[in-house]
Amino acid sequence: MAALADATDPLGAAVSAASKAIAVTVPAGAPEYCEVVDWLYREARMLDQGEFNSWLALMAPEIIYTMPTRTAVNPKDGQGFDHDFGLFAENHASLSARVARLNTDQAWAEQPRSRTRHFVSNIIVERESNTDLKVTAAFMLTRLRSNRPLDIFTGERQDTLRRDGKLLKLARRLILLDQTVIESHNLSIFF
Amino acid sequence: MPTHTAAFSGPTRLQDNTDLLELVNENKAHVSRRVYVDPELYQIEQERLFRRAWLFLAHDTELPNKGDYVTRNLAGESVVLVRGDDGVVRGFLNSCRHRGMKLCRADNGSIPFFRCSYHGWTYSRTGALRAVFAKDLYQDANLRKEELGLIPITRLDSYKGLIFGSWSNEVPPLPDYLGKMRFYLDLFLGRTDGGTEIVGTPQIWNVEANWKFPTDNFTGDNFHLYSTHGSVVELGLVPPDPMSLSYGHLIRAEGGHVLHVVPGAPIPAYEFFGLPKQLLPQLERNLNPAQLGLAKKYAFSVGTVFPNLSFLQVMIQGDASSPPTPFLSFRFWEPTGPTSTRVWSYLFIDKEASPEYRKASYETYVRTFGPSGIFEQDDLENWEECSRVNKGQIAQRYGLHHGMGVHLQPDPDFPGPGDAWPGSYGERTQLAFYGEWQRWLTQPTPWVRP
Repeated sequence: MAALADATDPLGAAVSAASKAIAVTVPAGAPEYCEVVDWLYREARMLDQGEFNSWLALMAPEIIYTMPTRTAVNPKDGQGFDHDFGLFAENHASLSARVARLNTDQAWAEQPRSRTRHFVSNIIVERESNTDLKVTAAFMLTRLRSNRPLDIFTGERQDTLRRDGKLLKLARRLILLDQTVIESHNLSIFF
Repeated sequence: MPTHTAAFSGPTRLQDNTDLLELVNENKAHVSRRVYVDPELYQIEQERLFRRAWLFLAHDTELPNKGDYVTRNLAGESVVLVRGDDGVVRGFLNSCRHRGMKLCRADNGSIPFFRCSYHGWTYSRTGALRAVFAKDLYQDANLRKEELGLIPITRLDSYKGLIFGSWSNEVPPLPDYLGKMRFYLDLFLGRTDGGTEIVGTPQIWNVEANWKFPTDNFTGDNFHLYSTHGSVVELGLVPPDPMSLSYGHLIRAEGGHVLHVVPGAPIPAYEFFGLPKQLLPQLERNLNPAQLGLAKKYAFSVGTVFPNLSFLQVMIQGDASSPPTPFLSFRFWEPTGPTSTRVWSYLFIDKEASPEYRKASYETYVRTFGPSGIFEQDDLENWEECSRVNKGQIAQRYGLHHGMGVHLQPDPDFPGPGDAWPGSYGERTQLAFYGEWQRWLTQPTPWVRP
C-alpha cells in the first residue's frame, strides 16, 4: 500500500519524477494561476450542467483518470490508498464510452439526471515543464437523485493540465477520496 | 476457550400471523415482497440464517504475512482475522474481554500481538490473554487468564483461498456445506497451479437495498441484460441478439448454491472463459475431464454460494476500442439492515497471469462493473428502487413473479453435478435460492436433505 498518493502510482510515476525535478510554485493571483482557476470553475460548471461532450473536449488524448480504493490504516502504514486497484481507471477511450453511454436514453442510473454540484478550492499550482502544470485542489461533490439522501464526496484531486496551443487540456487526474466506504449506491458521475 | 453456538429457536410465523412458508412458494413461482423489506423478517433472518450459515470473510491473500490482520463483520459482529507465527489464519471477536473495546480499529495492518488501547490488556495472535495492566492488584483467583482469551469465531475454514466463518457448531463442515458447488468453484479458483489472488484492496460501498436483490441478480439472471443494460447494448459492447445469453444452462448445485454457464461467440477466443492461451496447459492439468469440457465450452458464468457470496466470470469490452477481456470478480453482499447492504467487490486473478493480462483484466473490470462500471451503475439503481418501492403496504399485498422457464425439465446429459436446465434465461435458480432461504428460516437443520 502506498505511503503517499503518487509515490508508488505506476500511472503517475513519470509525471511525479518530472515534478520533483523542476516544480516551481505559481503563486496565487499570478496570471497563469488565475487561468487555472477559471479552467477549473468552467469544468465544474460543465459537469453540473450536464455538458459532458464539452467536458470530454477538455481531455487530452493521453488522459489518465484514476481513483484508487482506500482503507483506514494506522499512520505508520501510510494513507491507505491502493494504486493497484480503484474505482476509476480511465483513458480517453473509456471516458468517451462513459459519455456516449450518457448520451443514450437508456443510461438508467442517470435517467433522471443526478443533480450535482462540484466545489473546488485550496488550489495550488506548480509548473512542472514548459507545457505542464500540476494542480492540486480540494473538492466537494454533492449529488441528489431519486429518494436518496444527499450524497457528499470530498477529497483531493491531483491534476496535470497540459498546454495545447492556447488551451489547457487535462492530461492526468488522480482522485483521492476521503471515503474508504463509498456512501452511495453508484458512481455514475464524474469527479 | 469459550465458544458461541447459534441454535435455532422461535416461531415460524410473523407477528401478524403470516406463516413463513407462505413467503416463498417454489411450485407457484411466488416470492413475497416482504422478504426484501420487512424489519421483523430481517431479525429472524439474522438469527436463523446469518448466525448459522458459513459466510465469506476474506481471501487468503489479503493476509500474506505472519501478523497481518483484517477487520470484518461476521453476521453483524466485529471480527478480526490474523495470521499466526504458524502461518494459520485465526479469527476472533474484535473485542477485548475487559470492557469490550474494539481491539483492531484499522481496516488492516500488521501486529506482533493484540493490545487493547483502553486499559492495555494484551493477547497473543492465537487469542490467549498474556498480560493485564497492574497485574499485582489482582488476586489470581479473580483473574483466570485461561478463561479470558479472545472469543474465537466458532468455525473457521477456507476453500481454495476463500476464508469462511460461522457462528454455529451444528452446521456441516465447509466442504460438505459447499457440496456439489465445489465442482464449479474449481473452474475459477482451482484451474491454475497457484490458484487465485486478489488485486489490490476491494471496492466497498453501501447500497440502500436488501441483500437479496443483488444476490437474486447473481443467481443467474441473464435476461436483464437487454433492458437494464440497454445503454451498453446501444454502444455495441454486447451482441445485438437479445437471446445471446440464453444458449447455456442454469444449474442448481443443491444447498441454495446456483450458477449459470453461457457460451460466447463460436470462436476459439471465447473458449475457456477467454483466459490467456499461456494458462491453458495449467487448466488441462488442474481440472478433471468433465470440468475441462465445461471450461472449454463457456465464456460466461455468474453464480452464488449460498447465502450471499457471488461471482462473475465474464469476457467483455470496456469500450469500443478495447478487445473483449475476461475478469473474475467475487462479491460479498453484507446485510447491514432490512434495506441496506454493504457490497465488497474483489477482483481475483490467477497467480500465474502475466502483468499485461492483469492490467487488461483490471481495466475491463473497473470500467464495466463495480460502482462506477458502465454496466453495474444501472444494476445498483434497480436494486435500490426495488427496495424502496416494495416497502409499500399496498405493494406488499401483491407477490412477485418468478415463473420463467420453470416448466422445463433438467438436461440429463449435462456433465456437471446438480440439476442443469437447458436455456440460460429462466428463474429456476432464483427460486432455488429463495427456497433454500426459506428452509433456513423454518427448519432446525436445513442442511439435512430428504
